[in-house]
Amino acid sequence: MKIFKQIVRHSVLAFLSVFWLIPIIWLVATSFGPDTGPNIRTFFPSGMSLVHYQTLLFGMDDVARFPSWFRNTFIIATFTCIISSTFVLMVAYAMSCMRFKSRKTLITFASTLTLFPGFLAMIAVYFIMKSVGLTNSNIGLIMVYSGSSGLGYLIAKGFFDTVPKSMREAAYIEGASEFKVFTKIVIPLSKPIIVYTVISAFLVPWMDFIFANIMLNSGLSENKTVAIGLYAMVDKVRINSYFGQFCAGGVLVSIPISILFVIMQKFYIEGVTGGSVKG
Amino acid sequence: MGGKRLPATGGAGKALHSLGRAFISFFTQFYQDIKEGDVWVRLSLLFFGAGYFGRKQIAKGALVTVLQAFVFIFYPLALLPSLRKFGTLGTVKRAAVFNSVTMKNEVNNFDHSFIILLFGLIAILVIAVVVIFWVRNLHAVRRLQVLQESGKHVNRFTDDIRELFNQKFHITLLALPSLGVILFTIIPLLVMISVAFTDYDKTHMVPTNLFTWVGIDNFKTLFTHSQTITFAYSFGKVLSWTLLWALLATFSTFIFGILLAMFINNRNTRLKRLWRTFFMISIAVPQFVSLLLVRNFFANTGIVNTLCTNIGLTDFLKQIGLLSQNYAYIPFLTDPNWAKAMILLINLWIGIPYLMLIVTGILMNIPAELLESARIDGANAFQSFRKITMPYILFVTGPFLIGSFTSNINNFNVIYLLTNDVFVTKDQLLANSNAQEIDLLITWLYRLTQNFYNFKMASVLGILIFIICAVFTVFAFRKLIKGDREERFQ
Repeated sequence: MKIFKQIVRHSVLAFLSVFWLIPIIWLVATSFGPDTGPNIRTFFPSGMSLVHYQTLLFGMDDVARFPSWFRNTFIIATFTCIISSTFVLMVAYAMSCMRFKSRKTLITFASTLTLFPGFLAMIAVYFIMKSVGLTNSNIGLIMVYSGSSGLGYLIAKGFFDTVPKSMREAAYIEGASEFKVFTKIVIPLSKPIIVYTVISAFLVPWMDFIFANIMLNSGLSENKTVAIGLYAMVDKVRINSYFGQFCAGGVLVSIPISILFVIMQKFYIEGVTGGSVKG
Repeated sequence: MGGKRLPATGGAGKALHSLGRAFISFFTQFYQDIKEGDVWVRLSLLFFGAGYFGRKQIAKGALVTVLQAFVFIFYPLALLPSLRKFGTLGTVKRAAVFNSVTMKNEVNNFDHSFIILLFGLIAILVIAVVVIFWVRNLHAVRRLQVLQESGKHVNRFTDDIRELFNQKFHITLLALPSLGVILFTIIPLLVMISVAFTDYDKTHMVPTNLFTWVGIDNFKTLFTHSQTITFAYSFGKVLSWTLLWALLATFSTFIFGILLAMFINNRNTRLKRLWRTFFMISIAVPQFVSLLLVRNFFANTGIVNTLCTNIGLTDFLKQIGLLSQNYAYIPFLTDPNWAKAMILLINLWIGIPYLMLIVTGILMNIPAELLESARIDGANAFQSFRKITMPYILFVTGPFLIGSFTSNINNFNVIYLLTNDVFVTKDQLLANSNAQEIDLLITWLYRLTQNFYNFKMASVLGILIFIICAVFTVFAFRKLIKGDREERFQ
């Protein structure tokens, strides 16, 4: 009886897993297939071939510029990551560990701002960027992604809240300045949340579609980020010649992102749920 | 992605009251500072740096003077012209004028309504900031006077710098992030909120045309239903689907996510990590890849339809009447009802693994002795779930649940990536106001701006989205806080 229950339990899980993985399997299978358009006859392609990877990486045309998309996104992601992580940690420390007159007001104000759809502000940002000639450029996108990043401080603040106050107080008594406490005590104790902040900031340009789609409108493929470039490939008119390459690109970009995502999740759970109990 | 930002809410009335008090004390103090200040303090009313020079704070005085000079020179040149035209948003239309000197047609010195709006708003903000700075600065130099008169230590410049890394470290920390938020969120939001009160649309595109203030006309349009305007009809439809979607999407992923997490976390499940990894893979792939893929997966001539025809499912659906006889395929993403159901299902595919991850973390944190003692007291599995596990999960994830409701209202990716170019509405009334059955407010807003250049109505929608989210959040937090108190009493 018990064995029977075990078998049922694990079959259910296996069934669900297969269900969840089908699209991913299809993505990988199609990327290694020979068809350029979507394969609509059978689930698995008729043969094995590396042609899509080859054309994607070496045979560039006006539409497919995967290497430059990847380079653009990587540059944007690196700078965004540095700027936003710094901003987030700075704001989180100020809001969590320091007490000043306007603190509560600022927190409420920041929360109110986040209730506006971010896209609304984006429309005006686009016109402003256009008037200074920063649309269709990596610098423009870096500014867009990292400009308001300070508003995303809440998770890091939640973690800083759990760093025991006594540790900071001991440091103050020994004459340490607030700057020293921040850099020498709180930051070294916050590894999980720093890893989480850094990775999640790095992932934003890789995952974002909506902001990049507004900022990149020149039509020049080499300016695009991975998300926008791949999206153009499954356009109605292009899908039949580029779907295979889309899948290959999807696989190539998903591998590094998945790895980072899994690491990030581990630290997120460590940092956030660990914190919610302590504090 | 991010999106789990939670607002802290206080009583609005209380906030207003304290704001009023702060306002009054701000100006009574100003009056007192002038009355009691010496010549250096009073001189600071004109030359902001004077009070610092008077106390031998040369560096600080110089800094403030440079700042003042910069604002006073820069303001009339860059901002004042726009502020002057702010009332009309410009009157001179762009035109080609024949220049008799160069013998060529040249573009006239036209007004650019958007620039006037933007710089006009900045001009107003700068005035407000300068006034506040003026008053605070006066108070600061008055304090210096008091310090000097009572023989106490007056900060030197190095002391001021040191303070910025100690007692006033928050100013250093917040300066740059705040500047970023002001430039990339606050000013753009103010501009777009203002656009809701103008006639900025495709017949008033800058720079060739002008746009101007129209009061609350656009808000009236949104609630108008007539022969030519169908916004009221579309708004009703889109709003009800947005709310239904947010509700269903939030709770379906929440419930199934908890169930899946508990199922995997059960003592009897082997290879827990392996199962978790399987589910995680589907969310680790970026959404624009997985959603665009799924969209082709379920296309009218896609692989799923081929398989359904082959196994006879398409015919079966026709027989039981779920599918109209006219279709040779299942219109997964092209029929309004099918599309809505599919969007909800595909959202489950994305959302359940997320919830599973979060809930797994929480489940591991439930104090083991709590469950153990319940077991000893004779509680069965269901009872301990209902009395311990569930309240615990709700307590920890409550704010997250509110956050995910508002982020589902703004869930652009799922709807847009799945249906853009694929779904075309057949409802003429909706099409007339550029909406579709499957549109959320946010995707409607997006389409209005990107495809139809209807910025005025898009801004109106944006304001309404904010109001909906704000009302919901305040309301939900009130409830949540009340629930929390009750729990403490028990």
